Amino acid sequence: MSEMTHTFSNQKPVNIGFGILIVLLYIFLMAPLVMIIGASFTNGMMIEFPPQGFSWRWYVEFFERKDLVDGLLMSLRIGAITAVVTMTVAMMAAMAGQVISGKLSGWFQLGMTLPLLVPELLTAVGLLFFLYKIQMAKTVMGLQMGHILMSFPYAYVSIAAAIRQVPASLEEASASLGATGWQTFRLVILPLVMPGLAMGGIFSFINSFDLYTISLLLKPLGGNTLPLALFDFLTYEFKPTAAAAATLSILLSIGGVALVQKLVGLQRAF
Amino acid sequence: MSLRNPKLLLAIPAVALIFVFMILPITNMIEMSFRTPGQSEPFGDDYTTMHYDRILSDGYYWGVLGRSLLTAGAVTLLCLIVSYPIAWHMSKAKGLKAVFLYACIASPLMTGVLVRNFGWMIAAALNGPLNETLLALGMIERPLRLLFTQGLVILALVHVFVPFMVLPINNALRNISPTLIEASSSMGATRREVFRDIILPLSFPGIYPGMILVYVLAVAAYVTPALLGGQMVSYMPTLIIGELTGTFQWPFGSALAIVLSVSTILVVGLFTALTSRLMERSKA
Repeated sequence: MSEMTHTFSNQKPVNIGFGILIVLLYIFLMAPLVMIIGASFTNGMMIEFPPQGFSWRWYVEFFERKDLVDGLLMSLRIGAITAVVTMTVAMMAAMAGQVISGKLSGWFQLGMTLPLLVPELLTAVGLLFFLYKIQMAKTVMGLQMGHILMSFPYAYVSIAAAIRQVPASLEEASASLGATGWQTFRLVILPLVMPGLAMGGIFSFINSFDLYTISLLLKPLGGNTLPLALFDFLTYEFKPTAAAAATLSILLSIGGVALVQKLVGLQRAF
Repeated sequence: MSLRNPKLLLAIPAVALIFVFMILPITNMIEMSFRTPGQSEPFGDDYTTMHYDRILSDGYYWGVLGRSLLTAGAVTLLCLIVSYPIAWHMSKAKGLKAVFLYACIASPLMTGVLVRNFGWMIAAALNGPLNETLLALGMIERPLRLLFTQGLVILALVHVFVPFMVLPINNALRNISPTLIEASSSMGATRREVFRDIILPLSFPGIYPGMILVYVLAVAAYVTPALLGGQMVSYMPTLIIGELTGTFQWPFGSALAIVLSVSTILVVGLFTALTSRLMERSKA
């Protein structure tokens, strides 16, 4: 009993200290995002936090800047194509992955997530030479392939996790009732994995939207993605327009997080 | 398993994607590093080891390599220190609170590295929040120049990689059965002993992959040193990209990339060897 009272009297200050530590760590995590969002609404001429007054002028300025808007449109287009292609290819690969068993299955998983595990820099350098060799250097198509490759693992991991939840007996039942393979896929499997598939698409799109290094090395002639345009803008101009552009990008990721929570729940997704 | 299962054919596009656009190009890069320098082309026709000789005999490159490896090491350790309490706190959360905490980890994770680094540029301004806080705490007497310093690069990299460390540790901690902890405390173990002998070894399966992933990604991180590191200090990734896009020395740039990769693999191997006993204990 005396032992217990001893621990109890000790517990409070430890818990308060730990609580303060946790709050500070979360402030550290969220601070850069909060500062960008704050700075984007400044009425002053400088990027600063806390902002001076409130205005939308830097958002207006952003949409009047052709280089930044072109970058945004290019990023959205490449991201959308990346999402559709990786969802399709990853869905097929995840179905194949299901029939692989034993040790080989582990290797297959590893292979499918390779672009995530190998540093982007190495893949980007390799691709730069390779695209040059096959005469696709400095083309939008080459950049698109790089984005598809780098985003594929995100789609694969989400979709493979969803497909693993589908009991094999459902497929067998469907087949024994006379459904063709395609019917079973469309009417049984697809509806069940839909949330995972959509989540894979969201991750893939957002990853593509954020890629920097690979876009820098593979960037097509006369084309810039939003991160590339933003980097140049930060290097040469450093006006609050950059904060407005970055805020749009943050809103996109928060929207993605909210969608993932709605579709499958964040706890299952991460 | 039967290799004749027609479903296996569905893997062809994915395997082709990764093989053609990743494995082939990286193999190609190894070959490129042995090419002679080109005159009008970015590379020549003959083969040589001169690029490796040049890197290994020049103290400048050893210095940059050392800085990159050490910086990544510091980033990894700081990430672990920051991530462990977060993961610990997160692993205990349930319901709405858990959703909120996951969102706080996931939102930065899903925001681009460039955008997050830009946030630190705002924080590190001469009259920005970081300096204001340090002044208010009385830790400094006048504002410090924080932008374009190694310290800021490390801080920003820690911020980039914390989610990569929190998530695996959180998963490992969630897998520890509470009965194990109850049992050991009922047998008289103090809280410190429970932590040291049970929780820490059992969270190692999350710590280990987290540390490796963060180290490997931090060594090769390009955007953060390029944006926040300034012109004065070089890191291997900024040097490599400079060779490839600035001076168009593809063979030399490839050799630098390969030296960096091999060094990273050696460090990871050494780390694995040193911690193999901890890993064994976590399995027991």
